[in-house]
Amino acid sequence: MSKITVTVNGKVYTREVADQQNLLHFLREDLGLTGTKEGCGAGECGACTVFFDGRTVNACMVLAVEADGRSVETIEGEAQDGKLSVIQEAFHRHHAVQCGFCTSGMILSTRELLHSNPQPSVEDIQDGLEGNFCRCTGYQQIIEAVLDASGQSVKKGELKHA
Amino acid sequence: MLQEFRYAAPKSRSQLLELVAEYGARAKVLAGGTDLLVNIRSGMVKPELVIDLKRVEGATGVHWAPSVGLTLGPATTINDLLRDSRVRQDFPLLAVCAHDLASYQIRNRATVIGNVVNASPCSDMAPALLCLGARAELSSVRGTRTVSFSEFFTGVKKTVLAVDEVVERIVIPAASAGTRGEYKKLKRITGHDLGIVGVAVARKDGALQVGVSSAAPVPVLVTGLSDKNTVDEVVAAVLAAVSPISDIRCTKEYRLFMVETFVRRLWEETK
Repeated sequence: MSKITVTVNGKVYTREVADQQNLLHFLREDLGLTGTKEGCGAGECGACTVFFDGRTVNACMVLAVEADGRSVETIEGEAQDGKLSVIQEAFHRHHAVQCGFCTSGMILSTRELLHSNPQPSVEDIQDGLEGNFCRCTGYQQIIEAVLDASGQSVKKGELKHA
Repeated sequence: MLQEFRYAAPKSRSQLLELVAEYGARAKVLAGGTDLLVNIRSGMVKPELVIDLKRVEGATGVHWAPSVGLTLGPATTINDLLRDSRVRQDFPLLAVCAHDLASYQIRNRATVIGNVVNASPCSDMAPALLCLGARAELSSVRGTRTVSFSEFFTGVKKTVLAVDEVVERIVIPAASAGTRGEYKKLKRITGHDLGIVGVAVARKDGALQVGVSSAAPVPVLVTGLSDKNTVDEVVAAVLAAVSPISDIRCTKEYRLFMVETFVRRLWEETK
């Protein structure tokens, strides 16, 4: 067991964790932040995407002890004062959510993408979200939502599958 | 929950090397963890101790010195390379291979050194490092030695690294700056995937190198070629150097066909 102090969505937590516990289970089970999902558990699907010291990572492939002294942001930190973020609004508007399991990761990866590339092309979006799998929407609505969130106009149904 | 192990995060180089020497095969070194933590979870490796080297001073970053070249530390991530303007400008082949490695989130964690230490035949960084004449600096409590990447890989998932050694640095010689190059990787899907075969072609000052992944037990470097060779000669040299197998991802014949196809395309594109 190790004692760690980690800042999650701006709040400081000190907890004892088993050395082999991953960050994903720490967030979900120790802190009760269940917005971050476990899909594959092997870094393929991106459902557990969180910000770790300002960069997106798969929380299933980070040990909780590695987070000692670091900052983590999860989907619970996306809406501010009960108000959805621009990205969340766009996902809502474009019905880019079906079962919702991939959505937390999609939204955080979108935030990271728009941070470095505020006006991404469709190709940039496909590239930036390639580590996030959606098994419901076929991605079209998600790409439309990201275009919309970045202030680029898009007509519904205009995009075709890549 | 992963199977039980203890975690250590040494802060100094000497602590790191002492721990690695003390625990040897009972320990695993953790950098990005994108392979290690998956392998622990699946039970493929069962370390007693996981030694995280990311808190060792000087483990990160991409450094340039005209007298040495480009230096990468053990915690330098794939995306650190991609964000470095000198890499993109002077070592474009590194950037192209890095961009083809896994997905964005993985590239934020996965390290260049981890990619080569795992010594998978399908390593995406190996073809670029081979073509650019890169060297690995191996350190242990016994001292430091330098090994060229053309001698680093010894078999599938095997390297020259001794049980008490870590790769402390990768050095890409300054003389390789300005090398033009491209990489093509065959995958089962358009998104991120392991390579079925990968081919890199690099050219500088009339010399031509070809690096190939997933077509032999180790990543392959073909040297001794130049602009004076015809494309058929280049293809013949590469095909003579590779020895692919048939496996779950494709047949040996398809791999040979695609290696040739990629060499021909890249020869044209890098002219």
